[in-house]
Amino acid sequence: MRRRKMSVLFALYDDFDKARDVVADLKILDMKELVVEDIELYSPIEHPEVEEILGDISPPIQRFTFFGAITGAICAFLLVAAAAQSMFTVQPQGGKPVIPLPTDLVVTYEGTILFGVWITLLGFLIYSGMPRRRLKKFYSHKVSEDQIGVEVLMKPDNVEKVRETLLSSGALEIREV
Amino acid sequence: MDSTTNMKDIEWARINKDVLGSLETPRITFWIVLAVCSVLVLCGVAAEVYQYNHGLGVALMDRPHFWQLYISNFIFWIGMSHSGTLLSAVLLLTKADWRKPIYRFAEAMTLFSILTAAFFPVIHLGRVWNLYWVLPYPDERGIWPNFRSPLLWDASAIFTYATSSALFLYIGMIPDLAICRDNARGWRKPLYTLMSLGWMGRAREWIAFRKTYVLMGCFLVPLAVSVHSIVASDFAMSIVPDWHITSFPPYFVAGALYSGCAAIITLFVMLRYIFKFEAYMTIDILEKVAKLTFAIAMVWNYLNLSEYASIWYSNDMYEHEVLIQKFIGPYWPVVWGMLLCSTVAPFAMAFKKFRQNLWGMFFLSLVIQLGMWLERFQIVSPSLASNHEPWTWAVVWPGLIQLTITAASFGWFTMLFLIFCKVFPSVSMYEVKELVFHHRRVSARNEIEDLNKEKDDMIRAQEGLA
Repeated sequence: MRRRKMSVLFALYDDFDKARDVVADLKILDMKELVVEDIELYSPIEHPEVEEILGDISPPIQRFTFFGAITGAICAFLLVAAAAQSMFTVQPQGGKPVIPLPTDLVVTYEGTILFGVWITLLGFLIYSGMPRRRLKKFYSHKVSEDQIGVEVLMKPDNVEKVRETLLSSGALEIREV
Repeated sequence: MDSTTNMKDIEWARINKDVLGSLETPRITFWIVLAVCSVLVLCGVAAEVYQYNHGLGVALMDRPHFWQLYISNFIFWIGMSHSGTLLSAVLLLTKADWRKPIYRFAEAMTLFSILTAAFFPVIHLGRVWNLYWVLPYPDERGIWPNFRSPLLWDASAIFTYATSSALFLYIGMIPDLAICRDNARGWRKPLYTLMSLGWMGRAREWIAFRKTYVLMGCFLVPLAVSVHSIVASDFAMSIVPDWHITSFPPYFVAGALYSGCAAIITLFVMLRYIFKFEAYMTIDILEKVAKLTFAIAMVWNYLNLSEYASIWYSNDMYEHEVLIQKFIGPYWPVVWGMLLCSTVAPFAMAFKKFRQNLWGMFFLSLVIQLGMWLERFQIVSPSLASNHEPWTWAVVWPGLIQLTITAASFGWFTMLFLIFCKVFPSVSMYEVKELVFHHRRVSARNEIEDLNKEKDDMIRAQEGLA
């Protein structure tokens, strides 16, 4: 079955509190009449309280970090241990252990951090949907300056209801896609 | 505007305008400093080419002690790299708001210091074409580099630190690069578009961004400590008197933080003047950095004294000899100069009036850095001049080639730093906006509380009258 086309309304506000209020109003409207498919907030700064209104959108990047750190530690230790093991017949050890743990741990430590950082970056890119080739059509430069944007995804039938709600909360501008 | 408490009065749009304006129209001083630095770099390149063609003898490296100024410079620049990323990460994790206007240039300072430091082992090698020997792969006889050597640890630590610091700097810049993208024209537009990765400021992006940034900060704190500890191991793992000391790693880390903090003050004053950042790089923030520098100076002094004490009470004749020679031997001007610049001079920061004096602090930060550079020199050369082996006892002062390359390293660092500040925003716009936002919130909350209190007092007064 062909997916039904969705409409997007993008409203700009001069204050975060107004944007927060309109998201709350839209949630109430959605509970009553099921008009909204998705809501997204755009802001020039981070608002940690946004999770209270949009729900839990925190990505599990720490799992990437953990995986990266463990992988890095194993790879680095295997590198130094295998290198020592591979040449202990050609390079006399003078009674010292072939795989000396204290010295090998230094490189292991660095490997842990190196892989941890890179894989964390990978997690960030995956969960934030970046790199993105094109910005969304409705994107306004004002969002990177001093205004808050609210993007609402809905069925075309509900556009007017949502527009009314967005305007009633003091939207400075509304763009429709 | 001289205090962060007034930041709430700055409009967000003005922050964009001020910082983006800094990318376009710096003071004339910017071009003068850039030209001087470029000349220094050219002189350094000429000196290196001369050394390359004539051998390390022209750098006086044909004497019995071979670790000289290049190694001192290497430690100095690695040390300088410490404060930027480390302090930024620590202050991020402890949620210290005052870091926000200054962390970007401090992180850039870290990156360019490492890039400068990385040159010195290469220059010191002489046979630069053999540099690839430190890479972790086996030669034609199946022999790998010796991972037990602190020099190999150094290579891995510096590579990790340089990569991670660059990523930390870059990740922290993405929202600002999007602002630049939205306002840029000409050649800047495609550069910022590419580097901003399509950032749009969505709530999901912000949350992923903050989480990543904090996680990276958690990695960078132990990493930064490990890097300078490992540089200290280059010395401490040897048996040379005055180097074979267990307190060397923490001593190096404290010294690195100290010189790094002084460098932050130097660059703070320089940027504030050149790019007209008076509204963001406030005296209040300078005072906080000065207090931190003073505290670290005291830690460094304590570790320095404890090093002298442990050598003195160790009753080792070789160690005693080196220590005595440091103070009354041929290198005495270096050691006493270090004590004057890095132990005595910082006490000026104990006075509030001095901490708030912009140019006084600028001058002091240069004096401290001179002291810390001398400290690196007095770690390397005097110990080798009074080694276990009498045939190695040679007093060597740096020659023209070494000094030229040293001066060029300062030019190189400053040149890279200035170019960075001209191409990328050196003040974090989104973080300053956050600072303004929170200041406004707090002041609005306080006003409401005050009004409520007044109202309660009036009600109580009326009830009393009734």
